[in-house]
Amino acid sequence: MKIGIINYNACNLASIYFSLYRLGYDPILINNKNKIKKIDKLIIPGVGAAKSCLDYLKENSLFDEIKIFLKSGKPILGICLGLQIFSKKLHEHGISQGFGFIDAEVVPFKKRKKFNIGWSILKVNEDLDFIKPFSEKSFYFCHSFYLKFNDSLDKKYCKGIIDFEEVVPSLIIKKNFMGVQFHPEKSQRNGNKLLKLFLNWKPKLNV
Amino acid sequence: MFRIIPSLLLSNKKLVKGKNFSNYINAGNPVATISALEHQTADEILLIDLDAYKLKTEPDINTLKKIAEISSTPITFGGGVDNFKLSKRILTNGADKVYINTALFHNKGLIDEIALCFGNQSIVGGINLIKKNNKYILAEDKSQKINPIHYAKELENRGIGELKVTYVNLEGTKLGLELDYSKKILYEMNIPVIFEGGIGKLEHLLECYKINISSVALGTLIIFSDYHIIKIKQYLKNENCVVRI
Repeated sequence: MKIGIINYNACNLASIYFSLYRLGYDPILINNKNKIKKIDKLIIPGVGAAKSCLDYLKENSLFDEIKIFLKSGKPILGICLGLQIFSKKLHEHGISQGFGFIDAEVVPFKKRKKFNIGWSILKVNEDLDFIKPFSEKSFYFCHSFYLKFNDSLDKKYCKGIIDFEEVVPSLIIKKNFMGVQFHPEKSQRNGNKLLKLFLNWKPKLNV
Repeated sequence: MFRIIPSLLLSNKKLVKGKNFSNYINAGNPVATISALEHQTADEILLIDLDAYKLKTEPDINTLKKIAEISSTPITFGGGVDNFKLSKRILTNGADKVYINTALFHNKGLIDEIALCFGNQSIVGGINLIKKNNKYILAEDKSQKINPIHYAKELENRGIGELKVTYVNLEGTKLGLELDYSKKILYEMNIPVIFEGGIGKLEHLLECYKINISSVALGTLIIFSDYHIIKIKQYLKNENCVVRI
């Protein structure tokens, strides 16, 4: 199985690369569209700013290739910003358009605390058996923007949340897309388990 | 959740530990130490390259990369970082956040440059506080006229994601953290603040927790004593503090 990691020229590339390597995989770094075609599972890392990331993907034809990959039914894992760019609209350093796959917008925390940095406990929606083991487990978060679902049926794809200043959607599963607001590559044992879950995941496309 | 962050100094590929920013002695292999700290559930690691800070050499990116190979603990790396290019190398080679102190005193534009590419959450701004005539001043401030809290707020408004406060005079003394001034800082800031300096006993940590400090960086307590992070957290848990075990 070939795992690809999108390199959008920001992101904590070494961290995600080595966490997969330690799990026994040899991931391929993807910075141009030709490499994507050979990939079975795709990971889009975090640590970046929305606008520069999306500009980079669009300028390097990766944006459309990721869309094609998404439609092909092969699994994608989006981490932090890698999750947020699947929304419709992002408000970080100006407005940018995401993939529009999840009916949500990405907005900043506005109350007293502007950043959520540290470990939080995930509360999962128990309707999916395979994510139950992650209930009440702690994961590492580092962000000041979060996914805000629009009032639509897409809310049902939110399978895990944390309570910060707002309720923060933190685990999203829609068809062959899995998105996490936290950093599994930085969440020690629990993070490794989540990565393993993704690596073994065979999504049901009708869900 | 209360964050316990081992604060490690790197010099010539080894960890070192000193007192009041001098008298450094060898404190072990960085890769092995960080691996052990990860197993003890360290919440994050703060790693400062002392040579890069003091001698203005290139930061030791190789060691950072070696650490990233074995570690899935969040890492903040710093030491003399004063430009975007270097920050980028740090953030793409194993660090999740870059620590910048002195350079921000002279060039706050660096915050904008890094934030545009990596996001504001990737920048930890540092201030070193020195006590002179019963008053705290910034180590970098030759005029001694700048109010450190106003300065910290300025860094927040400019866009750092976290603030790290170091009480230089307290470093390595085991006298406990400066609580009154820390309270004033916390009152003004709307971003996470990490405190370091003087924490030498378990009771000191409880004092921090009680004034709503959410994150502490520990040097002496972890590197040169037999305090194990699990032991520290177990103590805090027994005192009804919320910690990750």
